[in-house]
Amino acid sequence: MDPLKKILIANRGEIAVRVIRACRELNIATVAVYSECDRTALHVRLADEAYPIGPSAPRESYLRIDRIVDVLKRSGADAVHPGYGFLAENAAFAAAVRDAGAIFIGPTPAAIETMGSKTAAREAARRAGVPVVPGTDGPLAGSDRQIESAAQALGYPLLVKAVAGGGGKGMRTVTDPADLVDAIRAARSEAGSAFGDASVYIERRLLRPRHIEVQLLGDAHGTVLPFVERECSIQRRHQKVVEETPSPVVSPALRRDVASAAAAVAKTVDYTSAGTIEFLLDEDGRFYFLEMNTRLQVEHPITEMVTGVDLVRWQIRIARSERLDLDPARLVSPSGHAIECRIYAEDPDNGFLPSPGRILDLRVPSGPGIRDDGGATAELDVPIFYDPLISKLVTWAEDRPLAIARMRRALDEYLVTGIKTTIPFFRWLLAQPEFVGGRFHTTYLDDVLKARNGRPFVEPTPRVEEIAAIAAALQMTMSPSGQPAEIGDARRWRAQARAEAVR
Amino acid sequence: MRYEVEIGGRRRQVVVTKTGDGFAVTVDGIPHQVDVARIGGHQLSLIVDRMWSADTSLRADPSAGHLIVYVGGTPVTVALNGRGRYGRKADGGQASGPQRLAAPMPGKVVRVLARTGDTVRARQPLVVVEAMKMENELRASHDGTVAEVHVREGMSVEAGALLLVIQ
Repeated sequence: MDPLKKILIANRGEIAVRVIRACRELNIATVAVYSECDRTALHVRLADEAYPIGPSAPRESYLRIDRIVDVLKRSGADAVHPGYGFLAENAAFAAAVRDAGAIFIGPTPAAIETMGSKTAAREAARRAGVPVVPGTDGPLAGSDRQIESAAQALGYPLLVKAVAGGGGKGMRTVTDPADLVDAIRAARSEAGSAFGDASVYIERRLLRPRHIEVQLLGDAHGTVLPFVERECSIQRRHQKVVEETPSPVVSPALRRDVASAAAAVAKTVDYTSAGTIEFLLDEDGRFYFLEMNTRLQVEHPITEMVTGVDLVRWQIRIARSERLDLDPARLVSPSGHAIECRIYAEDPDNGFLPSPGRILDLRVPSGPGIRDDGGATAELDVPIFYDPLISKLVTWAEDRPLAIARMRRALDEYLVTGIKTTIPFFRWLLAQPEFVGGRFHTTYLDDVLKARNGRPFVEPTPRVEEIAAIAAALQMTMSPSGQPAEIGDARRWRAQARAEAVR
Repeated sequence: MRYEVEIGGRRRQVVVTKTGDGFAVTVDGIPHQVDVARIGGHQLSLIVDRMWSADTSLRADPSAGHLIVYVGGTPVTVALNGRGRYGRKADGGQASGPQRLAAPMPGKVVRVLARTGDTVRARQPLVVVEAMKMENELRASHDGTVAEVHVREGMSVEAGALLLVIQ
């Protein structure tokens, strides 16, 4: 058998590009799928083959198992990489790929089923002897009144979470019992649209915990290896926005404990491929199992930067039944420090509302210690239908202060025009003493954003304003005389201004 | 050439004169010598006073009649000759007068939380629009009474579509 000569990537955006790159390096052919609005997307243009799978709405394309399996058969691909999101944690999809005679690059359908259900995963953790956050045993059912009494028994504040969830989607914090029913409705609606499964459960919310998670790789021969933890406490509305590794607060002893707890949970389902066990770390140093993500994580690059292990490459090797022969000690001994900022098409000065539209210029930082995993390009729209992630900007350096300095340098180099992005927000965040000092928890960011009360992140200095005035005036002076200035749709406005200037 | 340039609510008088090796630019009477090199259609590399290097990109803001000048990566909203509204004021954040709540992005209205005649408080959620898989609550900017409601649950709306009006 000579498996894995051609891989179908059942995803879009930066993660599809990331997987295509790994395939190229292994000399494996790539098959892209795309929705209507993604015809010109980078992943389509980089792949060897590309097939349309329907309209832009995820439910009609990237979530359509039948259409993707149809492309699988037509293209003759022998494996499928699901990326993250969409069908990545859908056991029916993994089974459909297997039934079509191809390899699903990920865990078994049974492991996805168990760990993908957050309630079943909590049970698995309990069996492995790992403490879990108190919460309901199964998905919420029954009347509003029954749910309210279950919530009352658990105590407020609490979290409503999607059973099939991840990435903060389908999650709501409830502090006031009166808000419970509305929060459940909103969470169900979001979960249904994001995961195709609207069921939710509730969990007590710990006060001021940190979010720590352990990357794992498991092979088909019974080896499960944990990696150094990632610190993902910088979250906005339960959505990670900055991740780093190692955590500034985890001691070598705690690292060993968390890593072996993670491996123990994964072994209860004979876990294969890449996965992540998430924990909450209490202020007193105790940790609780939160959930397992049975897929590659968005933030996997930071682990790659401090361990030198290519996780996507290993996913493919594991799918080929190769043995995981990495040195376990190396995986928990990070070299240097890595930080990731998720650059989103959102307007931080307008409540982080999505800012879809056409990217006009895109100049990505580069140079020492920088990695930018992107899926967007200039002259293309950031579509309204999907997560508005433009790229994941990662910096590596010998230690944390240098990695922060490098990130600030990289953010200053990053130029995106045409749409609003979260870059100005990150410039602010990375200058905050709490961030620099590593003193934060999962609600730190929401708290400080609230306290800022809408103060703008973009505050040009007088010097910058003067330069802007000079540039605008020079542009006006130069454009009528020589070559036409191609300032987007400004023609009408410019004509008016010119008339004024001539007067 | 003489321009009136408005940035951050402040107007500056800018006078540009061609010289032998670039431009003489005075901003509110303060003179600068500027060497300018055009890169493509909308980027200008400036060297100001024979020392200071500044990398700028100029783009029209499609939603309003003003220009965004990126200095390095920092966006600066610029209106020339007093034309065009200045950004922050156009956001509907005033403390008085009617608030015309518009969709900030295209999406689907999943919930309308106010009816005509309702009294609302500042920051009260009025309409929930789903876009990019997230539900976004659009809130009242100040206390008032809902005068008009232009959307129903389930409707798709374009960016800029008027959702409701508060008096």
